[in-house]
Amino acid sequence: MAIGVKKVERPEAGSSYLRATLKGMGLTFRHLATPITVSQQYPEEKWELAPRMRGTHRMAVHEDGRAKCVACGLCPTVCPANCIKLVPAEDENGERYAAVYEIDEFRCIFCGYCQEVCPVEAIHLGVHYEAAEYSRERFVYDLERLCEQDHPFTQLWDPEDPASE
Amino acid sequence: MNETSPVLNVTIDGIQVSVPKGATILEAAERVGVVIPRYCYHPGLSAPAVCRMCLVEVDGAPKPLPSCVQQVQDGMVVHTASAEARKARRAAVEFLLVNHPLDCPICDAAGQCELQDYAFETGQLRTRNIEPKAVLGRDKLTPDILYFADRCVLCTRCVRFMDEIAQEPVLQVIQRGHKGYIDTMTDELFEHPFSMNIVDVCPVGALVNEDFLFKPRAWDLDQTPSICPGCSQGCNVLLGTKENRVLRAKPRPNNEVNSYWMCDHGRQALVNWGAGDRIEVPMIRESGRLAPTDWPQALAALSRTLEARPAGARAIVSAGASNESLYIARKLADKVGFKGGVFRVETGPEAGLPGFPKLRLRAERAPNVRGAELLGFRRSADVLEAIRGHKGVLIVLEDALIDAPEDFGVELEMFIYVGTHMSPAARRADIILPSTTFAEAEGSFTNVEGRVQRFAQALHPPGLARPLWLTGSTALAGLGAGAVYRTAAAAFDALVGEFGEFQGLSYAKLGLGGASVAEAESSAANVS
Repeated sequence: MAIGVKKVERPEAGSSYLRATLKGMGLTFRHLATPITVSQQYPEEKWELAPRMRGTHRMAVHEDGRAKCVACGLCPTVCPANCIKLVPAEDENGERYAAVYEIDEFRCIFCGYCQEVCPVEAIHLGVHYEAAEYSRERFVYDLERLCEQDHPFTQLWDPEDPASE
Repeated sequence: MNETSPVLNVTIDGIQVSVPKGATILEAAERVGVVIPRYCYHPGLSAPAVCRMCLVEVDGAPKPLPSCVQQVQDGMVVHTASAEARKARRAAVEFLLVNHPLDCPICDAAGQCELQDYAFETGQLRTRNIEPKAVLGRDKLTPDILYFADRCVLCTRCVRFMDEIAQEPVLQVIQRGHKGYIDTMTDELFEHPFSMNIVDVCPVGALVNEDFLFKPRAWDLDQTPSICPGCSQGCNVLLGTKENRVLRAKPRPNNEVNSYWMCDHGRQALVNWGAGDRIEVPMIRESGRLAPTDWPQALAALSRTLEARPAGARAIVSAGASNESLYIARKLADKVGFKGGVFRVETGPEAGLPGFPKLRLRAERAPNVRGAELLGFRRSADVLEAIRGHKGVLIVLEDALIDAPEDFGVELEMFIYVGTHMSPAARRADIILPSTTFAEAEGSFTNVEGRVQRFAQALHPPGLARPLWLTGSTALAGLGAGAVYRTAAAAFDALVGEFGEFQGLSYAKLGLGGASVAEAESSAANVS
């Protein structure tokens, strides 16, 4: 049995592309007259970041430059990406401190749990996104480098709207 | 609490339970799975009811009763989670937290702290206290134990351990009230071979082991039930491991062997057990040189040596090897013609625990002396002398032979070394098979009283190292002598079939508590 084929008549109006082309060109010429200014002259012009933006880490330091970290081990425990390496040790005053503290920013998913869990407000995410490097190894930030970072700390909540209302 | 004593019926949180006369409410509650918070109560010690944490409401009683000392009466109705009981417990926790520093982030006990647990449980999240906390500082009690007085809840478990179990009452509560702390009466540090148990009994982070201080967090450790290889007592332990290293050992309760305690020697011996220059691949001697190879080649080489020889096979084994590995070593030697095997035992000073006399730090510093003897090996002070003049096959199991002469083994037909660590004598072997430490494979030890106890695998063996009961049985099975034992259970059950002393035991039946070999008492006398 032969297969029946239904023939559809094309409407006259749809068979001409002239109308659609004119419509599109109309939009183009309209933009020529009124340019849209969302493009930014990066890197001369920087993006204004939200205070809760979660970027690469920064360690808070005491006035004498020591890291505030007490090596409690909560951030490596809570980290879902397993990107924090911590080796605790005892300093000359008998206090606990982080002998090794490294964050692999490649593995990090910037969830911010480390900042949230930190009992001494030492490790923070930063309002920062320019993290490009020339080598992969440089993406493992050690304690010294984390302390040197000077970008603003990420806010855990909007300072103007703490209760998120 | 024998069977003739009357049985009392009590209701705990709506659950009926029958307990013998003399049982406390706390013990009765544990029978039905109701855990009442406690600090001063410890199952191995007396209960002074000083912490007031275990208060429970009892119908008809005018006020909450301390469940750790209150004995059960017939028909008693106990509420452990009622509003009144919870209020009493919350008050107790609040008082304890008045001066507790809340330095959980840097406290070694965090994650295994009873104060932390119960503070969360009672739900007291904010302090009402506005006074500054009392600061008492820290002190050393023994060369290895540090005491943080601020964290102490004065439960006196450590004091009672030294009084009742060690029976050397060196610790006291000094001062009273919020000034109270634990100390010795002299300025000198005290030393006791079982001192580290006071760290275990401490419910908070007041007493800490200085060797373990600021190392891994409690929740980072994997816990594996095991047996301490430090001496022939065979204490049941829990190995705390992290990153393939043994970092600590804690006693695992077993009333037949070690109760809740273990000695400091065992704890120290266990840390980093098996570290060092390990043999990681099998090696066979080819034209005078030792060459690394793989297991099929090594086992083929081993099989070729296992033929009946007139000079027979002798063995030097280690009393630190498991029953299963010793059994396979014996079978390998049997295949050639067993001409006797010896082992040596390192000895050290003994130490006892008067409050639990069954537990002693034994002079023999090896876990499986009895097992080696039951499997037909002989104890010898000089193992090299014992095999002098032997010209056949020599099988060495886990004895590094550090005292061997430089030309050791020249007159041997074949020298098979099965071990964990390389040594000058081992380098002279014809076949080297890497084996595992007790922590790297499952197995069992037979302790001084003839109690066979299982241990589980806690670590990954390095490289290609495998237990002898696996590799040796594979070689033997290739020659038609027995099956391949892929588990220690299979090897042990085969052992039971061949050695009458182990009659009636099976690996599954040993369980976590272990079981004694037949006539253990009578043959234990021959051990020394």
